[in-house]
Amino acid sequence: MKLFQARGATLQALFLVVLCIVTMVVDHRFHHLEIVRSNISLVISPLRYLVSLPATGGHWLGDWFTSHSELLEENETFKAESRILSARLQKLEILAEENARLRNLLGSSRKIADDVIVAELLSVDQNPYRQLIEINKGSSAGVEIGHAVIDDFGVMGQVIHVNPQSATIILISDPEHAIPVQFVRSGTRSVAFGRGSTRQLELRYLPATADIMVDDELVTSGLGGRFPPNYPVARVTSISEDRIRGFVSVIAEPKARLDSSREVLVIKPRL
Amino acid sequence: MPQLKYLVIHLSLVAALILMILPLPDWAQMYRPNWIALVLIYWSMALPQRVGLWFAFFCGIVLDTSLGTLLGQHTLALVIVVYFNLNFYQRIRVLALTQQAVYVFALLLINQIIVAWVEGTLGRPTPLLAYFGAPLVGMLIWPWVFVILRDIRRKALLR
Repeated sequence: MKLFQARGATLQALFLVVLCIVTMVVDHRFHHLEIVRSNISLVISPLRYLVSLPATGGHWLGDWFTSHSELLEENETFKAESRILSARLQKLEILAEENARLRNLLGSSRKIADDVIVAELLSVDQNPYRQLIEINKGSSAGVEIGHAVIDDFGVMGQVIHVNPQSATIILISDPEHAIPVQFVRSGTRSVAFGRGSTRQLELRYLPATADIMVDDELVTSGLGGRFPPNYPVARVTSISEDRIRGFVSVIAEPKARLDSSREVLVIKPRL
Repeated sequence: MPQLKYLVIHLSLVAALILMILPLPDWAQMYRPNWIALVLIYWSMALPQRVGLWFAFFCGIVLDTSLGTLLGQHTLALVIVVYFNLNFYQRIRVLALTQQAVYVFALLLINQIIVAWVEGTLGRPTPLLAYFGAPLVGMLIWPWVFVILRDIRRKALLR
């Protein structure tokens, strides 16, 4: 009886091990398990809120105790800034109008502004090998898989999982992420790969003759259809030549503050 | 109410899950013990007829979802660890706490190696030293986990 029980447990364990391997393969290769994942995420989302409470509470307390004079000072700077910005905006509106007119003249259908959803960072994924973040807007706010996410400095990443009340973002620095980019100065197109560090992107296998300099700006090229064109992505920090194979490999620093932004914008491509 | 008191097991696992997803500074990330594995080892040792392989499987799926890892990655490790535990628990239950802790270290290390192995297959190799930090911390806190969960189990009259 004892032996039989043990054998039963072994069979069960073998079955479960095989089941685990199958779910891993299915999860890695296909997307059938997305529904399981989003349902379980929904159940544990209260826990996520609970866990993020201390940090949020800290912010709230900090706000509460900001002194009056500091607020006044801040208010002054904001007012000044807003005056400058509104002045600039007037110019921008004129330019946008002019741009639309010219585009109309050219018969081009490129849109100028995209719809955005403002979202807040909920949590940072704890897996040290990935660069994933969780935001507090989900499918009920119109977020969909594949939408691009930016902060006020540049592109952060794209949506990979969506739940009703939250969504998971893969950052451009994730080792599994690649983003099509273009050099502003020379117009060279390339692809920037994540390296697992929030301060570095890598552009591999550029031809040695490519016109690249340190401090060149990189923007999204819009190729591939995931990211809208002309959003700032990164700035070149170092260039290393592989003389033997005739390639140049470039390291660039992301513009977006991948590790410190709390407010992000999800861009809805307008159809 | 015979069913209600077993909720204690689930509640302790929810607490473990909270500890797993609690944000920690980057340097401490590597030393976060696998709380779910610790709690599962305890319950499968204390109540092997209640907390078995399927239980480990479902805990693993929830853990994988909340950590954003492949569905099945931590599950595989937990199922194997609980399987070992189900084979050895009668010999381990009678040991002193410190000796148990060494055994728990071995289980946590197996758990860690399986998780790292799956990461490696995906092309994200883990530095070798990173294997040992979390199981070591897990070993050091095992006596406390054991005592706390044992008291809870006695209060809830589970046997």
